Amino acid sequence: MPIIEVKNLVKTYRILEKEEGLKGYFKNLVKPKYKELTAVDNINFNIEEGELVGYIGENGAGKSTTIKMLTGLLTPTTGKVLVNGIVPNEKRIENNKNIGAVFGQKTQLWWDLPVIESFRLIKKMYKIPENEYRKNLKKFTEILELEELLEKQVKNLSLGQKMRCEIAATFIHNPKIVYLDEPTIGLDVLVKENIRKFIKDINKEKKTTVILTTHDLKDIEDVCDRIILLDKGKIIYDGEKQKFKDTYGKYVTAEFIVSSKNEEINQLTNAEVLEETQNKLKVKFMHDETTIVKIMNEISNHCKIEDIHMKEAELEDILKEVYKGVHQC
Amino acid sequence: MSLYFSFLKASLKEMLIYRLDCIVGMISQIVTQLVEIIFIWIVFQNTDNLAGWNFMQILLLYGVTLISIGISDFCFDALYDIGPKYIRNGEFDKILLRPVHPLISIIGSSKEFTAFGYFFLGLFLTIAMLIKLAIPITIILILKILFFSIVGAFIIGAINTIFSISSFWTYRSNEVIWSFYKMYTFAQYPLDIYNKFVKILITMILPFAFVAYYPTMSYLGMDAYMIYIAPLIMIILWIIAIKVWNMALNKYRSTGT
Repeated sequence: MPIIEVKNLVKTYRILEKEEGLKGYFKNLVKPKYKELTAVDNINFNIEEGELVGYIGENGAGKSTTIKMLTGLLTPTTGKVLVNGIVPNEKRIENNKNIGAVFGQKTQLWWDLPVIESFRLIKKMYKIPENEYRKNLKKFTEILELEELLEKQVKNLSLGQKMRCEIAATFIHNPKIVYLDEPTIGLDVLVKENIRKFIKDINKEKKTTVILTTHDLKDIEDVCDRIILLDKGKIIYDGEKQKFKDTYGKYVTAEFIVSSKNEEINQLTNAEVLEETQNKLKVKFMHDETTIVKIMNEISNHCKIEDIHMKEAELEDILKEVYKGVHQC
Repeated sequence: MSLYFSFLKASLKEMLIYRLDCIVGMISQIVTQLVEIIFIWIVFQNTDNLAGWNFMQILLLYGVTLISIGISDFCFDALYDIGPKYIRNGEFDKILLRPVHPLISIIGSSKEFTAFGYFFLGLFLTIAMLIKLAIPITIILILKILFFSIVGAFIIGAINTIFSISSFWTYRSNEVIWSFYKMYTFAQYPLDIYNKFVKILITMILPFAFVAYYPTMSYLGMDAYMIYIAPLIMIILWIIAIKVWNMALNKYRSTGT
């Protein structure tokens, strides 16, 4: 049985239609006009226990709205959500016992207290057994390098330190499902890697289901096995990450370091020149249209190749292509 | 319940970080109240009694009210924060994600320790007036005052909780709660000085009269059978408060922000 079931889920908001100018403001005040905005438009998916799912889409695609419905913060307009056998918006408190959530930069820690005090309160709130709490605290402190932070007040922590504590606080009661909404926003690379490693470790050990929304696609690349891609409230892709890359990202970019180039190349058969300087050439091509050897042959007609770097398409590039495609039709 | 005390303990620790703020707040509260007492004194320069109550009896009523106000401000102060602090900053979501009823989280985070200013001034006035009025301070009287002060505080708390649902529509909910809460001042004077409308208001609609007025009558040995309804009123008010609050919360969650 899937741990999360989403069926025909719809959320529409009623928003005030703003009118221009001061006159418009008064008009709004007297007789407000509303329009319906569909943030989530009839989506369906199932998530199994232990899955690491990347939930991605552009701003306003409906990611946060979905997460809010899954956590029970918002009531769906129509459709069904079932999390661990519970309808979250009906039995919110019961559902809360099974889940953990991080929302961007909002902290669930007590601002004026030392970090450890927040952990103790959380322990009490979720009724975490003493030995379980100790075990988790020790382990989390190790992986997330919290040792020196525990006695510090939350307000005195840097962004990265705070987020590491936040992540620990989210997982400390052994939640079955964790929702991470932009957990790495504004963090430096080392902290990001640290957090990603932590998520993967805990998932492996405890089969925690993780749903991750993020703008940093490296998070997804590194952590998730499956992606759900959302656009304008609709799911446009749901499946394995690798398959997504294979389907949409068949192109490769190659960078050639060249010498003794005597003329502009500009054009190649079945390949696109992205960048060209006196001793560098960046080329993009599709796997099924040409091969690297053919391109090398063609280039060597114009100059001498010194070195080659090849790069498979990254998620970010692929997504850009996909959005372009979707928005065109 | 033990969770509530854990929250409270955390708030206490947070508060201790701002010791100076706390002391200044307490002193200014006492000063404000002293100004009002001087005002009552001036009134009594011109008259012997208000609806049959003399100066010392009025001060006793005033003191008993302050004890309840002190307790309720201490316990329920955080209700004022729901709109301007929690909902406006989006912190409310984090409270909704806890495995506890949000009211417990919010009320538990009250840390208005300056309310001790009211409490101690009230206690001082009460004891001083009981002595002045030559009312014997028996154990029973002490227990009675203790019990009904707490009941009174919870009546105020329930009324504040009911009006705190305005937080779901406006960030300025603190002002909405405040304007209704402030009506307790009506109940700091004998009921008989008011017209019918105010009487009905503070006995039946916003039953502040049960906070201190009826109890004080009882302490003074006046005929005050109404005092025994106070606990019942408290319970009914809390049932209403929690019902209304949950309804408002559900409505809020279906519209989103």
